[in-house]
Amino acid sequence: MTKQGAPALPAIEVRGLVKRYGSNTILEDVHLTVKAGEVYALTGPNGAGKTTLIRCLTGLAFPTDGEVRLLGRDVHTDGSRARAYLGAVVEAPAKFYPQFTGTQNLQTHANLAAMAPGGRRVSRDRIREVLALLELTRMADRKVQEFSLGQRQRLGVASAILAEPKVLILDEPTSGLDPLGIGLIHRIVTSLATSGCAVILSTHHLREIATYAHTVGILTGGRMVDTVDLRARQAAYRFRVDDPVGAASALERLPFVRRVSTRTPYAIAYLGGEAGVPDALAHLSNEGIRVFEASPDHFDLYEYYRERVEQA
Amino acid sequence: MLTLITLEFLKLLGSRSARLALIVCFVLPLLWAFAPRLEVLMKVAVVSGWQIPAISIGIAVQFLIPLFIAVTVAEMIGTEVSQGTLAPLLLRPVDRTTVIASKLVVALAYPVLLVGVTVIGSLLAGIPRGYGEFTGGTGMGPGLFVGVGTLTSNQALAEVLRGSGLAALMLMPIAALALLFGVLLLNTAAAALATFAALNLMRLLVVFPETIQRVLLTSHLNLYAQQTDITQPLILLIIYTVGFGLMAVFAFDRRDI
Repeated sequence: MTKQGAPALPAIEVRGLVKRYGSNTILEDVHLTVKAGEVYALTGPNGAGKTTLIRCLTGLAFPTDGEVRLLGRDVHTDGSRARAYLGAVVEAPAKFYPQFTGTQNLQTHANLAAMAPGGRRVSRDRIREVLALLELTRMADRKVQEFSLGQRQRLGVASAILAEPKVLILDEPTSGLDPLGIGLIHRIVTSLATSGCAVILSTHHLREIATYAHTVGILTGGRMVDTVDLRARQAAYRFRVDDPVGAASALERLPFVRRVSTRTPYAIAYLGGEAGVPDALAHLSNEGIRVFEASPDHFDLYEYYRERVEQA
Repeated sequence: MLTLITLEFLKLLGSRSARLALIVCFVLPLLWAFAPRLEVLMKVAVVSGWQIPAISIGIAVQFLIPLFIAVTVAEMIGTEVSQGTLAPLLLRPVDRTTVIASKLVVALAYPVLLVGVTVIGSLLAGIPRGYGEFTGGTGMGPGLFVGVGTLTSNQALAEVLRGSGLAALMLMPIAALALLFGVLLLNTAAAALATFAALNLMRLLVVFPETIQRVLLTSHLNLYAQQTDITQPLILLIIYTVGFGLMAVFAFDRRDI
């Protein structure tokens, strides 16, 4: 007899979240679930309630109704335990004590992280490691008031990942960063998610996020109007060919191809996975079609988002 | 908790308002001690260095030190909110009660620090007048500045220490009140003004019967020089401190940041 393990507890679980300020409803019956290793991007127009939702998720704001659980613990009634494995940046740029150096600020956060029930000490080596990871070693002993906005933002991410979190919540993590800085944050987030950390980040950079987020939640007027599973939409591949129409009809004959379309100079095919790419290429070659390039055809999240927000 | 208290102390000592307050509390007694018309204004013949602390505290405690306390303690919350550093603190696995209790501990220690620096400045200022035996009073013991005969150095020191301790204690409710307003208003200027307005409002209540006056905080801001039984006012001031402190803790526990 094989024993079946209990279903894994969601790392982040929001149920029926409502937040009102007086008669003004900011969040209305928001539900969301993020599993370990999942990157959840939260997006929506300005004033949609993203920051309020992030503040409720981290326990900084208290909901009018509903609950938020981090690793199974209610963040509002069992805050210190729920936040034991939380890393978060809730403002852009991240805020630190300007009179202290980068290292001193991180040391303060390390000391506070160690105050968690059963929390372990964060070593000085770990502080140096995260500073190096965020390319801040040169600034480590300078006062934070001398940091640029981008450097503060990177220090914020350094502070969030300092205690090796299992849940990472970031509000606009790439705000104020240059393209290299943005790439750095993306790599860190992806690497953390790969190691099993659940990540929620709010962003407006949809085309960037589409390349590495697993799920996108679209929040408009305080309501979660759509949740898009990007993994289910990334099975399409595009082939730059000399004859897109001919390529499309050739690909359509393959048994593992579910759907084809053309977007000159591309033929687009839903292959069900990258394992079908070599066979598709071989088939096109046999049909005498010259292929110049084959790559995943990313789902256009921006277009989808625009339509969704307009409909809402 | 010790980590947070240390952090709060470092922030307090790093804040401009606290530094300014400490400098003023230290320098003012030196100025007063050498002011040419001091004895005329105070109607006191200063014959010993032991009398300077009472003069300094008597002047500073009515307006200056409460103002410093109101501003600096209000800043402990207000500046953190405006700088955005309170939220990162609360994102750590520390419960809110511990965070605000640490702030309260440091806020209550601040009057002790201010009075202590005032006394040190006063004792330095008193050196030219000497610290030997003298006829008269320290201003903090029986007979106030007139005294009840001759005072030895040890007796004078004991009176100054007792008076200074009581002065610090009587200022603690103001610190707790400023912290409460800080939590309620989340803004330095608003909280400091609210604290000062509350104190002035209490002072204006002199028009009410004596029974009401007896329970007012401002009626006991001369505790350091009081020679009658101080048990009742002492208990009242402790109740005010604990009451304001607990209200700050409860208000902070469910406050959106």
